[in-house]
Amino acid sequence: MTKKIDPRVKLLFVICISSLGLAFTKFSMLLAVFFIGLLISHVLKADLFMLLKRIKIMLYLFVVLVVIQSIFVRSGDSLVNLGGITILTSEGLSRGFAYLMRVLIILISGAIIATCDMRRLIQGLIQMKLPYDFAFMTSIGVKFLPLLMEELKDTLTAIQLRGIDIGKLQLKERIEIISYIFTPVFVGALSKAKKLSLSVECRGFRAFDNRTSILTLKFSPFDYLAITLTFILTATLIITNQYFI
Amino acid sequence: MNEFIRIERLFCSLNKVQVLRNINMTLNSKEFVSIIGPNGSGKTTLGKVITGIIKQDSGEIFIDNKNIKDLSLPEIGRKIGYLFQNPDRQIFASTVYEELSFALKYKKTSIDIIEKRVGEILDIFELNHLRDASTYSLSQGEKQRLAIGAILLNDPEYLILDEPTTGLDPKRKNELSKLLNSLINHVGILLISHDKAFVLKHSDRIIELYDGSLKNDKKN
Repeated sequence: MTKKIDPRVKLLFVICISSLGLAFTKFSMLLAVFFIGLLISHVLKADLFMLLKRIKIMLYLFVVLVVIQSIFVRSGDSLVNLGGITILTSEGLSRGFAYLMRVLIILISGAIIATCDMRRLIQGLIQMKLPYDFAFMTSIGVKFLPLLMEELKDTLTAIQLRGIDIGKLQLKERIEIISYIFTPVFVGALSKAKKLSLSVECRGFRAFDNRTSILTLKFSPFDYLAITLTFILTATLIITNQYFI
Repeated sequence: MNEFIRIERLFCSLNKVQVLRNINMTLNSKEFVSIIGPNGSGKTTLGKVITGIIKQDSGEIFIDNKNIKDLSLPEIGRKIGYLFQNPDRQIFASTVYEELSFALKYKKTSIDIIEKRVGEILDIFELNHLRDASTYSLSQGEKQRLAIGAILLNDPEYLILDEPTTGLDPKRKNELSKLLNSLINHVGILLISHDKAFVLKHSDRIIELYDGSLKNDKKN
């Protein structure tokens, strides 16, 4: 199923659910979009657990942001009161959850895109008239990401193997260490980009205005059905949000 | 010679591929041991497992009688100096001086001692003229020497050198030879290498790995 669906259809899924996630403000509607996104990601066999594992550190930040959103909104009925000071209001709680839903919808969108074969996705972007240079840069960026992550890990390991326990350093020293971790990766990425650009130009990249491709994407009847259903569902959700809730 | 590293029934896999199979060995302090074997035989993985960079599936590794499961990377790093196969992966400071003085600075060593010790290493490795040079502009050989120098400043009791002769010309290889000869009275060395002549010249013991298993372990 994952392989069968055209990457442009997956892009349409993502554009629809992420746009609705950003446009809707009512909690019930956001919850509906979230469940629809979850259903799509399940059908496409998106690896949500792997995604959550990768962004584990950022999850704490999301939780903190949800709490901050909840606490700093003063309107609505008081729900938690400490010594006469309102800590949490109904509106604050609702906005906090709405924020959480939006983050989850964006994460699901990322997981759906991750199910695409990158070569097919780039071909899809080209057939959508995106300039080849941009599509090529995107594909290279995606391919280099794991390599950069590995380099970051190696630099961190090298620092620790010098006997430096980062956890035991003072805050100022820890901030200094961050520059030691990121500088070589940044410089290395620039150097790789330079070598790569030279290499692709030596192989005739952009030698002609138009490129042909052995891979051409064609919508199947199933893709047309998925596109139609996506439009119908999106319109239904917009109408429901506008007139019924 | 005292036992410094002991490996018992070590198994390790990477991306679901078994890389090391039932490795048992001891490595002694002040002993020069080389690990040889074809590409993909598990030499580099073994070095990384010993230093705790890669976790083993099963089996035990003891460094100085302490199980590495109970040691953190910095604790292992204070005992073992590990030279990566690619020095680019372990040089992280902007200048040669900064790279060499890094560990001493964070160990709160006084400026005078840092100057003295870094100066000694700059002399030994003939990097004096590059003291303030950017580490990104160094040649492969200079990077290799800098990486070894930075490790030595950490006063390790044992060195694991993964392909240290890569990128070195015959003159630099000779200098590395001299340096290793002078170090062997103070530290134990595990050399991972394809360079047969270099291995034969230095090793007290040669261990051969084949397809993740120990094939030979003999005195040189």
